[in-house]
Amino acid sequence: MTLLDLNEVSAGYGTMRVLHGINFSIRPGERVGLVGLNGHGKTTLISTIVGMTGWQDGSIKFNGKEIGGRRSHGAGRTTPKIVRLGIAIAPQGDAIFPGLSVSDNLDSGAYTPGSWRQRRKRRQDILDIFPPLTRLLRQSAGTLSGGERRMVSVGRALMADADLYLVDEPSLGLAPKISTGLVAALCEIELGDGAMLIAEQNLPLLAGRCDRIVGMHAGEIKDDVGEALGDMPAQGSHND
Amino acid sequence: MIELVVSALVLASMYGLVAIGISLTWSSIGMLNLAQGFVFTAGGYGAFMVVEALHKAGVHDTTTIALAAILSGMAVSALAGLFVGVLAFLPLHDRANFAVRGLIATLAISLLGTQVFMLTFGARNKPLPQLFGLGRLDIFGVTIPFSQLGTIVVAAVLLGAVAVWMRRSRRGLQMRSMMMNPLGANMVGVSVRTTGMTALAISGALSGLASVMLAQTYFVSPSSGMQPLIVGLIVSLAGGLGSIPGTIAAAIIFGFAEALTSRFLAQSMVPFVQFGLVILILLIRPRGLGGVLEDVRE
Amino acid sequence: MNKKVAPSKTREVGRRRLIPRWPERTEATYIRHRLPGTKRPLLRFEGRFNPKTLRRERILRDKKPLFWVASLLVLLGIPLLAGEQRLYSIFGIICIFASINLFWSLIIGTAGIQSFATLATVGIGAYGATYLSLLLGLPWPVMLLIGTVAGGIMGSLISIPARRLDGMYYALLTLGVSEFCRAYVVQSKELGSKFNGALFGADTFVPKEFGLTSTGQALSYVLTFALLLLSLTAYRIVTKGRIGLLLKTARAESSEDEAFASAIGINYHKMRLIVFIISSAALGFCGAFYAASQGGASLSLFSIDQLLLLLAMIVIGGMGKAEGAVAGTVIVVFITQWFVDWGPWRIVLIGALMLASVHFTRFGLFGLRQQIIEIRDRRKALSRASRTSRYGRFLAEEGPEISDKAIISEREFERHLRSQLKTWVTPAIIAEHQNSPLGQHSDHLERILNYLRKQPLANKYAVFCEVPFQAYKVVALSGMPGVPPRLVDDKIYASLDTAYHAVFLRRISDLKTTG
Repeated sequence: MTLLDLNEVSAGYGTMRVLHGINFSIRPGERVGLVGLNGHGKTTLISTIVGMTGWQDGSIKFNGKEIGGRRSHGAGRTTPKIVRLGIAIAPQGDAIFPGLSVSDNLDSGAYTPGSWRQRRKRRQDILDIFPPLTRLLRQSAGTLSGGERRMVSVGRALMADADLYLVDEPSLGLAPKISTGLVAALCEIELGDGAMLIAEQNLPLLAGRCDRIVGMHAGEIKDDVGEALGDMPAQGSHND
Repeated sequence: MIELVVSALVLASMYGLVAIGISLTWSSIGMLNLAQGFVFTAGGYGAFMVVEALHKAGVHDTTTIALAAILSGMAVSALAGLFVGVLAFLPLHDRANFAVRGLIATLAISLLGTQVFMLTFGARNKPLPQLFGLGRLDIFGVTIPFSQLGTIVVAAVLLGAVAVWMRRSRRGLQMRSMMMNPLGANMVGVSVRTTGMTALAISGALSGLASVMLAQTYFVSPSSGMQPLIVGLIVSLAGGLGSIPGTIAAAIIFGFAEALTSRFLAQSMVPFVQFGLVILILLIRPRGLGGVLEDVRE
Repeated sequence: MNKKVAPSKTREVGRRRLIPRWPERTEATYIRHRLPGTKRPLLRFEGRFNPKTLRRERILRDKKPLFWVASLLVLLGIPLLAGEQRLYSIFGIICIFASINLFWSLIIGTAGIQSFATLATVGIGAYGATYLSLLLGLPWPVMLLIGTVAGGIMGSLISIPARRLDGMYYALLTLGVSEFCRAYVVQSKELGSKFNGALFGADTFVPKEFGLTSTGQALSYVLTFALLLLSLTAYRIVTKGRIGLLLKTARAESSEDEAFASAIGINYHKMRLIVFIISSAALGFCGAFYAASQGGASLSLFSIDQLLLLLAMIVIGGMGKAEGAVAGTVIVVFITQWFVDWGPWRIVLIGALMLASVHFTRFGLFGLRQQIIEIRDRRKALSRASRTSRYGRFLAEEGPEISDKAIISEREFERHLRSQLKTWVTPAIIAEHQNSPLGQHSDHLERILNYLRKQPLANKYAVFCEVPFQAYKVVALSGMPGVPPRLVDDKIYASLDTAYHAVFLRRISDLKTTG
């Protein structure tokens, strides 16, 4: 049984259509990498899954439950409900809460039933994965550096006991050393029955670490790119 | 001197209660609730009805009546706040021009509400009995009526409870995250509607408390909510919309300002002083005393 | 919706509107009646050739002036004809409030400054004019002048914080100013405290005794109506004039508009201030007019209830449109003044109307048509975007750069073709080709080969003969004249057929990896 199933999903903003009839699925226990250049729809795909696009068409089934549908009003209206079904998202650009402390930011991610009660333990787990956050717990999140914010954002997503983790461009705007460490940490997390989708521009970071890598071009999913492309040069100019 | 401090604190308590409600709704969902006066008055009338019913049933114990008045006032006001939410917030919050339309909708509710109160209860003032008894306390040779002390204590307790709730509880965290980043809050499962209705209910309850307190000294009348609304708006502006410590500080400042003005100048000069104060504060700190949410909520 | 078409079952394509038309009678090439001194024609006529009746005719493009003239005549006529005292006072109130609302519409709509200090400005004009008239015994024309100046000064003062504070804060500030003025007047000995806030005794248009006769009242009403006409003219001049048009660019619906406007050299902030101050001066004029017609000013001018009623008028009628301001005023004043015996229910009704207007409409009553059109257009665009995918294979930026749109269709077609062909590539087909690369083929193989052979020359695989009948290699053509083909790999094929098959395999594998 697939965890996430997208069937002929199209989505866009206003009159612009970004995704064209996507067919895509993720099985439990899979770690999937989604690669493609900027502007081709990776972020839109993730936004569509959680219902944050302007409009969307087609069927999205999560654990058998239908969460997609035709929608054309207020982005984000249905997101809280969808997210509570067990999807955690670390969006592009972090979307952390600047005035709250790092500890509060992490706690806000524990929204699935049960994770709130265990938040202290889960917070400790996150600190084990991202040790630099330990001394920053009381600090206001607005004063952190880029890499630290990314860690908070990803950590917040990991706080929820989610079945599906959606990570959008974890290496964006980070120095190579930090981004390698971050993606490595992400790919080492035990998934169990859950799954993880990592959208990344920088293919070599994911090579060999994901169960499968899928390409995205002009709003369509290309067939599995495969792990053989580990020797391709890094794309994008954001690496240093 | 001590009487001055006490009356200043009484004023500060009531302004603080109303102002925090306004500040909360504005910063969490971006709606300026000008129907807060309506909510305020509703609580007063609710308490009045309950007290009347108790009197008819033969209950005269001060403590029971006090508790009943306070609780019913807060409950009715909270309900009124939710009512405002259903009419002005839920239908409009994700449509175009929400700030202006919400403002106008709350104004319309205010207009309507005042008239409905007038129709139901008549234009005459309704009194509420002294909640804290008629006793007085001796402090350093000065007698302070229980009513004033009671007001200060109850207000402080409740405001403190709200502040703690915001910092520690899960709902409080959700509201604070909604204030910072609505889209981010959506992504962690916080829905705007729930947050908004919670904010409206809480600000309603606080205004209801203020209304019951005020009704001891003055009366409940259909337009008794207007003045507290205006001063509440001024205080929340001065304190910085969204900052609880800033609003409390502003409430204390304005309470003292009013007490001092009415003592040393004239009661009629109070609006000028208040007006001048808020202009002064806004000139120095355009975002108010708190200024916590600098760029987040316009 | 064109009523002139003979009734039939078929629907016309598009929307036809009812346009008044009449046949051309003169032989003159064109007729132009203009308003004296201007270049504007009286009514916007267009001469054209009717394809159905095969005759020249003239149609009226814009029917709005007709509605305006009709409504204004009604507004003027009803009280004059009826001659009742009550109607005079109601319609007088309508005219004055409509004028105030027009200028408030200017402030909020055109200048985009959310100010609630309108009534305060009116009040200052009224009280100022009355006070000075009492003090110095000035006649009513000077009162009007004083009112205007007072309004202008007040406007300048209030406009100072308009730049620093944004929308909501500024609205609250002006509310505070209104309250402040009221508090001041109440406690001020000279202005208010004698008659509980009212001030009487100033000069009026019509002397007292005359004013009580019916002719006196008629005269008074006509003058008030003239105020409305003046206000409408002023509104028109500002909105359709240079300042109004330029300010439309900087309508602050998104902050980009403001940046854009200043980038093309429109000093929108200065213009907004100009509109604001002019409107404030006009409001002061209205106030002085009110004082002159009533013989004084009363405290009701400053009350928040009155301000809320004014707001209701604008909201119900429609912000930013002259018709809206007037219509809203008529509705609200009617409800409050005509149905006096309803008591508080009047306000309940007005509040309900306000709520309904804010819920269902974006621009009030008169903006409904525009709103419906906008909604319909948006829905059409959305459904179009979700239904079609013709231009979908390209990123949004690429579209305009391809000048020959046929290329887009071609690529679309080829994409479909490729996806079909890919399903036909089976081991059976490959074996069939291996058996006989040239010659009779099955339908599927033939189609595949046709497609492969149609590809452009650049990078097309070909067979290179090293030693005839003995050694063949696979090369890739460069597609450029003068550039030799490049060797793809070193493998040597013993026969031409095996070489053909090798080329076929390569082409097939390339086909599989393209999108």
